[in-house]
Amino acid sequence: MNTGLIDGHTSQAYDAEMNEIVNDVLAMGEKVTDQVEQALRAFIQMDSELAKQVIEADKSINDMEVSIDDKCVQVLVKRQPAARDLRAVIAMIKTIKDLERIGDQAKRIARMAGNASSQIMAPKAFSEFEQMGLRVNQMLQGAMSAFRQMDADAALQVALLDKQIDNDYEGILRQNMTYMLEDPRNISRIVEMTWVGRAIERIGDHARNVCEHTIYFVKGRDVRHVDDEQLEAVVRNR
Amino acid sequence: MNMEASKNQSSSLPDSTDLAKKRDLMQQRVARSLKRRHAQEKRFKLIGMTAVGAALLFVVLLFTTILSKGLPAFWQAHISLEIYFDEEIIQIDDKPVRMDGESEAAFNDRMLAWRTQLGFINFNRLILEAISKEIPEAPEFQRDAMRLVTSGERFGLRKMVEEDPSIIGTTQRLWLLADANVDVWMKGNIDRDLPDSQQQLSARTRAWVDDLEAKGVLKNRFSTALFMNPDSRSSLASAGLAGAFMGSLMMMLIVMFLAVPIGVASAIYLEEFAPKNKITDFIEVNINNLAAVPSIVFGLLGAAVFILWFKLPLSAPIVGGLVLTLMTLPTVIIATRSTLKAIPPSIRSAALGIGASKVQSVFHHVLPLAIPGILTGSILGVAQALGEAAPLLLIGMTSFVASVPATPFDQSTALPVQIYLWQGNELRNFFEARTSAAIIVLLALMISLNAVAIWLRKHFETRW
Amino acid sequence: MEQPAMGAMQMTFDEKKESKPASGAIKMSARNVKVFYGDAEAIHGVNMDLYENEVVAFIGPSGCGKSTFLRCFNRMNDTIDIARVTGEILLDGRDIHDKKLDVVQLRAQVGMVFQKPNPFPKSIYENIAYGPRLHGLVDNKTDLDEIVETSLQRAGLWKEVKDRLDAPGTGLSGGQQQRLCIARAIAVSPEVILMDEPCSALDPIATSIIEELIDELKGSFTIAIVTHNMQQAARVSDKTAFFHLGDLVEINETREIFTNPQDSRTEDYITGRFG
Repeated sequence: MNTGLIDGHTSQAYDAEMNEIVNDVLAMGEKVTDQVEQALRAFIQMDSELAKQVIEADKSINDMEVSIDDKCVQVLVKRQPAARDLRAVIAMIKTIKDLERIGDQAKRIARMAGNASSQIMAPKAFSEFEQMGLRVNQMLQGAMSAFRQMDADAALQVALLDKQIDNDYEGILRQNMTYMLEDPRNISRIVEMTWVGRAIERIGDHARNVCEHTIYFVKGRDVRHVDDEQLEAVVRNR
Repeated sequence: MNMEASKNQSSSLPDSTDLAKKRDLMQQRVARSLKRRHAQEKRFKLIGMTAVGAALLFVVLLFTTILSKGLPAFWQAHISLEIYFDEEIIQIDDKPVRMDGESEAAFNDRMLAWRTQLGFINFNRLILEAISKEIPEAPEFQRDAMRLVTSGERFGLRKMVEEDPSIIGTTQRLWLLADANVDVWMKGNIDRDLPDSQQQLSARTRAWVDDLEAKGVLKNRFSTALFMNPDSRSSLASAGLAGAFMGSLMMMLIVMFLAVPIGVASAIYLEEFAPKNKITDFIEVNINNLAAVPSIVFGLLGAAVFILWFKLPLSAPIVGGLVLTLMTLPTVIIATRSTLKAIPPSIRSAALGIGASKVQSVFHHVLPLAIPGILTGSILGVAQALGEAAPLLLIGMTSFVASVPATPFDQSTALPVQIYLWQGNELRNFFEARTSAAIIVLLALMISLNAVAIWLRKHFETRW
Repeated sequence: MEQPAMGAMQMTFDEKKESKPASGAIKMSARNVKVFYGDAEAIHGVNMDLYENEVVAFIGPSGCGKSTFLRCFNRMNDTIDIARVTGEILLDGRDIHDKKLDVVQLRAQVGMVFQKPNPFPKSIYENIAYGPRLHGLVDNKTDLDEIVETSLQRAGLWKEVKDRLDAPGTGLSGGQQQRLCIARAIAVSPEVILMDEPCSALDPIATSIIEELIDELKGSFTIAIVTHNMQQAARVSDKTAFFHLGDLVEINETREIFTNPQDSRTEDYITGRFG
């Protein structure tokens, strides 16, 4: 981790508090990444047992969010952070919100896996899915890695990946449409699959948000709701 | 694994007991040192209280000796005599009255002539006649009889006539001041068993005194002579402090009107306006040195400068006042400066920040706050000057002056000098008490000055 | 396509920076101001502009020269024998070191409030009345009464003291005393008010009252405030200047300084990373 950005306070206790929050966020990110990966696996392999585990584990993610939130509030109260520290705390509060949402999406996917009504779907259809899942997982890992490095450039690269996931989602939508026409028996399964695709697309959006928070922290510029060119401009500017 | 855990435990346990032991040891050490510290504290308190007690004891001792010696001097032996203002003896024209159209000079001339005539009259005869009424054999022993009344009283009678010629031909019962030796005899300040050769009064006079005292003709009464009369060498019983008091008063006024304004002004300039550089440092050092110069040196300076150079009169309050002013100046300057230093600088910034000039900030804000301190310093300085005798000795204020000075240029003595003079008087038995009485007057004056200082301080401080 | 997008983005950022209504003209400006204490240079050539109706906060570690620099604006450094100020300080375009401009006049225009509340040991009324009387601003008692009342009202003290104007100013609480000092400063209707750590001796409640007061006074005065309390600077000021070792390191919109300072020294200071 690029500790230089949040360390070095005159008060070592302040350093410790900040580091603790950062580590907690990283742990939460790891946990969320696992959840997404396992949920997708459960859905693809129709593993209702794994799905159950994922649903169960979501509670711990929610707990993590509450705990980190509380620690951030404590830092705000005790230290009245300014500048970089203030941005770090704000960014982390927002990041855990997004991570928690990602966790929710993973739970949603796992629920679909648990409810899986039939297995009629052709296995080949899942390959698209697997690829999209892989991509979103990579994106998520990349986002967390950029946060760990406090690296705006890396965050930018990861954020730009969101566009591909959006494209993937559109592709899957189109493909599912044809599947449904081909075999009406598959409709319910395909609708589920569409939902899952939608969830993955949402996860990508949240991962992009995480990257934006990292960029905000490092660059001091709010880059929400700007398009990719502007985002690039901000990161390259300084 | 288990072994290691237990080892860990066992190794951590002694650690904590070690700590407890160490703490116990520390506590014991602290307890031991406490005893020593308390003892130290007690010892110091004891020493302090002893010191204060000793100081108090000396003060009490001083005051009791002075008061016990001095207070009786305020009551002097008086003799009650029936004085007949005999027109046979007092043969004199009517007191001149200013006539219409008479010039001032002409009237004064006539008055002077009348006074001269009065001066030739022997008032002692009136006294002797009056004594004869009490002691029939008195006319035979005129010398002994006249020792009963102090010699100054004839001037008292003359003054009565001068003021009111109509008493001529009347008889008045008057309390006349008895001779100093009578006073000494009556108060038992001389050993009654001494042989005649060593007694101040003749055996006959002594017998008369005892006799008259028994009859109530001779009595100790409160006397104003000490306050109202100047010093005297012929009529010791009526010797008073009036001259010395006036001399001291004049000098004090001179000191107040010279030393205080000059001292305060220079202190304000040095403290508030003068640039801080080598010259002002030099001046400051010298002022401090001046405060430490022995006062007698100022007397030498005064004699050299004011008397030899400026040709001011010898033993005059003006010279004494100037010398004391020089002596008091450093005290006033130092007191004022330290008072000014103690005024918080925030007041100055406040005034300057609002647009007051330097002078305005000093005179509107700093000085009013400093006034109590300045007053106290000044009054203490003046009080110190009042008690100073040494420099006055060197400018001739030890000379005997039998009149009350009217102007600062007249000859005069001062209270502390008068004390010194009386202390050396030959008639020790009488003047020992008188010296102490003079000291009481001086002390009363100083205490009231200090009281004024304290009152002023309180008065100006309680305003805010 | 790209160009307009860039422009749009630039606009959004600029708008954020200037979201506050634009301030008035330059009231005072310092050009290459250096302050020497004896031979030691305490301020190394500072340039700064104070704008009308704007609060500028000076922050920085102890001994960084922020108070010294503040005191240049009303020549309070003149009162220190060994202090020497060079460079140009303009008030409405006039050099305040101009021989023709009397320092007394300058201080009537540029008032000052000090770190420790320092009311005169006189009555509340006299504290306020002193300045107007000194400068001959009033001819009669009625006018003076009015000035005293309005000054106290503007300082938010009128209600608390109107029944005891004859009571000593030193008998007020610390916060009231400081407001009394502010009232005293505005009684001579200055154009600029300099405040040297005005709240450092006050409790939080009194501090917040003063801060609110500063916000109100901003409408009529140009204010420069030295503070050690960075949150206070963040709360009350429009611009913040960071001083370090006698240099003006950075001056910018307060919101920028406290969220995204440009100089690493500023950042280290405001985030508590200073030795």
